[in-house]
Amino acid sequence: MLLAAVDYYRPDTLAEAVEALDSTEGARPLAGGQSLISILKLRAASVDLLVDISRLEDLRAIAVADDGSVRIGAGVTYDEMAMSPDLHRSHPRLSQVAAHTVDAQVRNRGTFGGNLCHNDPINNFPPVAVALEATMHVTGKDGDRDIAAADFFTGYFTNALSSDEILTGVTLPALNGRHMGYQEIEIGEAAARAVAVVATSNGNIESASVALGCLPIPVRRPQVEEALAGTPATADAVAEATAAAGEGIEPLSDADASADYRQAMASVVAKRAVMEAIEGGQNG
Amino acid sequence: MTAPAKEQTTTTTWTGQSLPRKEDERLLKAQGSFVDDEGMYRQGYAQFVRSPYAHAKILSVDVSKAEALPGVIATLTGDEVKAMTEPLFQFAPKEDGSQVNEYLLGVDIARYQGEGVALVLAETRGIAADAADLVEVEYEPLPVVTDGVAAAEPDAYVLHDSLGDNIAWKGLFDWGDIDWALENADHILKIDKLHFHRYSSTPIECNAVIVNWDPGTDMIRVVSNNQFPMFGALVIGPSMGVGTDQFDFVSQDIGGGFGIKINSYTSIGVLALLSRKAGRPVKWIETRTEHHQSGGHGNERTFLDIEVPVMADGTMLGFKMRAFDDAGAYLHYEPLGAVIWSQVVPGPYKFKHVQVDYTETLTNKCPAVPNRGYSRMQHLWFVERVIDLVAQELELDPVEVRKLNYVQPEDYPYTTPNGCVYDSGDLPQALDMVLEMIDYEGAKKLKADREGSGKRIGIGIGTTLDSGTNNFGQSRILNPELPFSGNGEACTALLDLYGEVMLKLGTNPQGQGHETTASQVAADILGMSPETIRVWTGFDKSHSTYIGFSGTYASQFAVTGINAVIGAVEKLKAEIIEVAAYAFEVEQDQVELVNGDARIIGNPEAAIPFIGIANMVFANNATLPHEMAERVSLTCRHVYVPPFELPDVEKKYGNLTLTYSTQTHAAVVEVDEETGKVEILDYAVVDDCGKRINPMVVEGQVHGATGLGIGAALKETFEYDEDGQLLNSNFLFYHAATAMDVPNIKTSHIESPSPFTGTGAKGMGEGGGAPLHTISAAIQNAIGPGKAIVSDSHNPPERVWRMLNWDGPAEERGVTVVSNGDGA
Repeated sequence: MLLAAVDYYRPDTLAEAVEALDSTEGARPLAGGQSLISILKLRAASVDLLVDISRLEDLRAIAVADDGSVRIGAGVTYDEMAMSPDLHRSHPRLSQVAAHTVDAQVRNRGTFGGNLCHNDPINNFPPVAVALEATMHVTGKDGDRDIAAADFFTGYFTNALSSDEILTGVTLPALNGRHMGYQEIEIGEAAARAVAVVATSNGNIESASVALGCLPIPVRRPQVEEALAGTPATADAVAEATAAAGEGIEPLSDADASADYRQAMASVVAKRAVMEAIEGGQNG
Repeated sequence: MTAPAKEQTTTTTWTGQSLPRKEDERLLKAQGSFVDDEGMYRQGYAQFVRSPYAHAKILSVDVSKAEALPGVIATLTGDEVKAMTEPLFQFAPKEDGSQVNEYLLGVDIARYQGEGVALVLAETRGIAADAADLVEVEYEPLPVVTDGVAAAEPDAYVLHDSLGDNIAWKGLFDWGDIDWALENADHILKIDKLHFHRYSSTPIECNAVIVNWDPGTDMIRVVSNNQFPMFGALVIGPSMGVGTDQFDFVSQDIGGGFGIKINSYTSIGVLALLSRKAGRPVKWIETRTEHHQSGGHGNERTFLDIEVPVMADGTMLGFKMRAFDDAGAYLHYEPLGAVIWSQVVPGPYKFKHVQVDYTETLTNKCPAVPNRGYSRMQHLWFVERVIDLVAQELELDPVEVRKLNYVQPEDYPYTTPNGCVYDSGDLPQALDMVLEMIDYEGAKKLKADREGSGKRIGIGIGTTLDSGTNNFGQSRILNPELPFSGNGEACTALLDLYGEVMLKLGTNPQGQGHETTASQVAADILGMSPETIRVWTGFDKSHSTYIGFSGTYASQFAVTGINAVIGAVEKLKAEIIEVAAYAFEVEQDQVELVNGDARIIGNPEAAIPFIGIANMVFANNATLPHEMAERVSLTCRHVYVPPFELPDVEKKYGNLTLTYSTQTHAAVVEVDEETGKVEILDYAVVDDCGKRINPMVVEGQVHGATGLGIGAALKETFEYDEDGQLLNSNFLFYHAATAMDVPNIKTSHIESPSPFTGTGAKGMGEGGGAPLHTISAAIQNAIGPGKAIVSDSHNPPERVWRMLNWDGPAEERGVTVVSNGDGA
């Protein structure tokens, strides 16, 4: 299909962008456009004004702080994430995920912030942000605020931003010796996905953070995390602790897979993500 | 390799070589020309308004707002189309004359999601899209029928009042004596249900049309990628009230067809009407969503109440079943599929007793149309499922059961229970070869080693047939009144003014390499290099040569097209020699053609280049006897006609296809027990299409058919919800196989020449859907006995996972074996 007529504005500053979003009914920020433009072309949604934030310098940096945490600008592309030596050092598995997200053309355009804000259940990064307990940095007409990743995602394709707000960047805490596992089952698109951040010591799991994706809202699994803490870092113990990872979640059914299957697969990917994190000492 | 070849003298040097394709340079350099590369002066852009409902009354269509939009040229509604046309020709009306009434645009009722109900023409594509949004259509939803079996029930909601029920065609096919076989078999295998799913080979280029109904000449010029325009002309001409002589069909390069692109004739027709109304050329490029919703889907078939009589040693006597084909909402090329499967009734096996109670139904889905392997692959998948289930349930070796039941090399030509003649082949050897290619013994060891690891190994075999050069007389089995039979293709071979050799074909290829293979066989006849022969690129009805069957479809160019080329070039050669012999003052048998010269045999100095021959005929004809100058044209047309007779429509018996290529596939797969995901570890194909004119072109076709089959087996499906909404209407949700999904394919070949084609070649492009058979078998092998059976041709992870985790009672597995005591 073809894009319907839409107004377009490319502000030079973040403040101008916020002003445009605040003052125009039906305005939406446009970053890489890899999801938004497709939706508009299908005429599944309509927008009156696209505010192009993709070239705002404030949104385009990856910066490592003294404490090892890393701030990724919302406008950083997947490709820039994949190619960043800093991110490769600080969060190597995330860098790898970015490098394998869809194809080169999409990686050249798609942005970290766009992926998070759009919150399509198939998107890669929402469960990563939740598992890592990331902080989302937001600017709006009333100034700046931070939102915890766990509070950022509010449902299918929705987030906690108000219409005048822009996600400017995301801070990922340092791994500090922990390792991240990222596992998914793809049936054309991702049908089940889990992210685990695990600390081990002397063959035991010290702590674990486990989040599930492919859901309207990515969720942590506190009971699984409690069951994992203190157990031996073995396949059997992890399988037992993650067996109920899918309990209570409500995934969607579609032509690719039923909700029942996705729920059963949540435990499989959770186990695999934890095991990957445990074994990840070698490769990140 | 085994069957005796009929002597063929004309093709010796270039034929059989893997010459790079003539077409590839322009295609690889983006110098091809597809419909969207073309345009006409003052063309407008068309946009269909399509029904969002699967089934709804069209209460009103209001185009006033659309027509008021600046840039809009014209609109067209179903009511207008109804007023100016007749319903489309139907192949098989019922005996009382009742039939589907289909117009070129939806009239009164929309019967599937995506059916066109109005058209808008505008100065740009963008305006056309905006204007289509402004067309106000008032719908009243109707009950939706999406199940092809339930559609046949007496209480099903009827889609077409003019037909009276949802049964497009119904017939009993009964050969041999199935009752005797069921009484006398040692065992009867009963299978409750098998289902072949709906998918498409999704050509990379969607349908596309530019059409101009010239108000001055009344000629309708159609630039399109339709792959069988003569068929389209025969159907839409009478509906539109125009002669076929008014149509000029043009195409150059086509981005894939697979049969699906036969279907665009209705779009061509209605766009022509729009062009006439607007007085402007009309361009329409179908979007991917439109293509998925309304461009045409492959046939979906359900097999019920299957009974298979088997002897204790594994010899199978035949089968009995009920089959339901789901044609979708309208009959486009259908119900030809209702008989086309019977080209391959016993598959590659010697079953004698077959009874099929066949019903084709109408549902609120996109019309089913031919799709690579059309109608036969559904049946062949069924046969291979039966073979593997017999082997599993009777604890027999699937390799030995196949070898026991195969048509054997010494049996050819082999007449099937319904009178089809399998021409040649060596299936046992092909099976041995393909098993060696996947290291069958090693794979079995790997399977044993992996037990308990969470990853199961499955080994599958799929034998299939690709029947080519069909006898259109089989359509009379549907309707004895149909005036169709035989088949054929045309070619014109000529010298141009300076003696250049040129071939004009009746075909319009979509990547099959016709320019290359035609030049190879012509080169051998004329004693020159294929590079020096120009094969006219693309098809243009106004100057190409054609007959009613012309087009590129149904695995037949290697037989019909090539034999037309051979016939035409032989005629040209004879004329060149006649003129040369006259000039040399020698007998014609003293003249030979070498490297573009006519020479006296044994005297290379006495040579006339083709330019000299052309000069005498075209520009210097006072040098020739008057009689010869008027008779010899150096423009030689030949129509190849395969040797067919009319089938016996009462017994549904006769030779329905000239050639039968075989393909034997084998796969080793790994199934993840936790997820049900299937990964192909090894894949091999042995192809036997008789004499290969260009082995590299054959190999390309084998790869393409294998890739599409693998995609269909594991990833690609069209699924409708209960409201008749298509859930896979673009490539986000329809998972076409990519390079990532297709493993390295090991290929090998046998050449069993066909005794019926002159050259020994057979058609082979469709490939018979072998990966579907093979992967179903491999998954079955991985799951093993005692669990649910692989009963669907499409096996995504969840379906496999459910089979792995199945723990129902034995009688619900879907398969049972009944033994007749000691075998009577």
